[in-house]
Amino acid sequence: MRIKRSLEAAALIAVAVVLGLFTVQGTYALWNATAVAAPGTISSASFDMALQAVNTGTSTNMTLADGKTSATLTLSPAGTLGPGTSVYGGVVVTNNTFAGGQFNTAITAGQPGVANLNGGVLATYITVSAKLAASPTECSASTGYAAIGAPGLISPAVAKTGSTVFCFQVSLDPSAPSTVKGQAVTIQTTLTARQLCGVPSGC
Amino acid sequence: MKNSTLIKGTAAIAVGAALLLGGGGTLANWNAEATAAPGTIVSGDLNVTTGSGTWTDRSGNPVNIAAYKVVPGDKLTFTQTLNVTLVGDKMAANVATTGTATNGFTPANVSVSAPVLTVGGTAVSNPLKPTGSMQTVTATVTFEFLSTTTGRADTTASYNFNNVAFQLTQITQPGLS
Repeated sequence: MRIKRSLEAAALIAVAVVLGLFTVQGTYALWNATAVAAPGTISSASFDMALQAVNTGTSTNMTLADGKTSATLTLSPAGTLGPGTSVYGGVVVTNNTFAGGQFNTAITAGQPGVANLNGGVLATYITVSAKLAASPTECSASTGYAAIGAPGLISPAVAKTGSTVFCFQVSLDPSAPSTVKGQAVTIQTTLTARQLCGVPSGC
Repeated sequence: MKNSTLIKGTAAIAVGAALLLGGGGTLANWNAEATAAPGTIVSGDLNVTTGSGTWTDRSGNPVNIAAYKVVPGDKLTFTQTLNVTLVGDKMAANVATTGTATNGFTPANVSVSAPVLTVGGTAVSNPLKPTGSMQTVTATVTFEFLSTTTGRADTTASYNFNNVAFQLTQITQPGLS
């Protein structure tokens, strides 16, 4: 009796499985076709800004190879600073990106910070001014220099492979006492490059 | 006695011949036939093939995606034409896309649309049915490198669309099983 019931149950299950398979097979039995497209890979550009000191020719990328660390470039002034005189330096900033489309940048030089070294007081008598130039040779011309305001000195748009020149003038007050002779200061300014949106309705 | 046997044999032959003649008489009656032509059964067709696929920038200018490098603010559109053949009185089919991309960008810095299928500028309404000629379905995908990206995020990153499959699958209609 048990064997008979077992056989009946097995037969029932087998019928159910077969019916189920037929049902599934029926779904796949209809026609279907597939076409494949390969849109490709989209790659983003680099954002490399090259810096080159006007007087020494020393160069670096604004961001170091690790992609995170900001570079420090020394702009050694040409000449010796005396009361009532000025020395000049500058940096050429080049937009070195390989973007596929338009990629304009604006570079901003922040307000400089002047700090005394070795307990001196020279910073009190130092004035730093700056200007934008089309050529490094313009840095040694005393005309056009002005103090950098709070917004900083902002360059016009610098397109791909284009460059701009920031010139700096450091002047010593004519009334500087002789006690500051031989003293030194460090002058720091921060250059910031910012992408401009050159695409209509894109930003 | 021999004559009797001969007579019986002859009579049997005569009866047989008569029966044969009777059978021949049946062929002489009316008969008719008719011919039907059920015709030829022809199957329909279902197929999808890819046409041209192109990339354009935000301004509609063509882009060589293998060489182009995107920057924040870029928006690229991929347009792929599909040639769909549907033939059959009870033919109907759904078109769908499948595919998985490999994203090397920060997800928050990009916006990638799912493929949008249109026919003649109107969104596809499944199922597609035969129109008497090949149908052109256009699939578009957009990739936008958002201008809200800050710092130097996602420089030299990549987004691989891999393969995008367009599947055309027949569906049952009344009268089909």
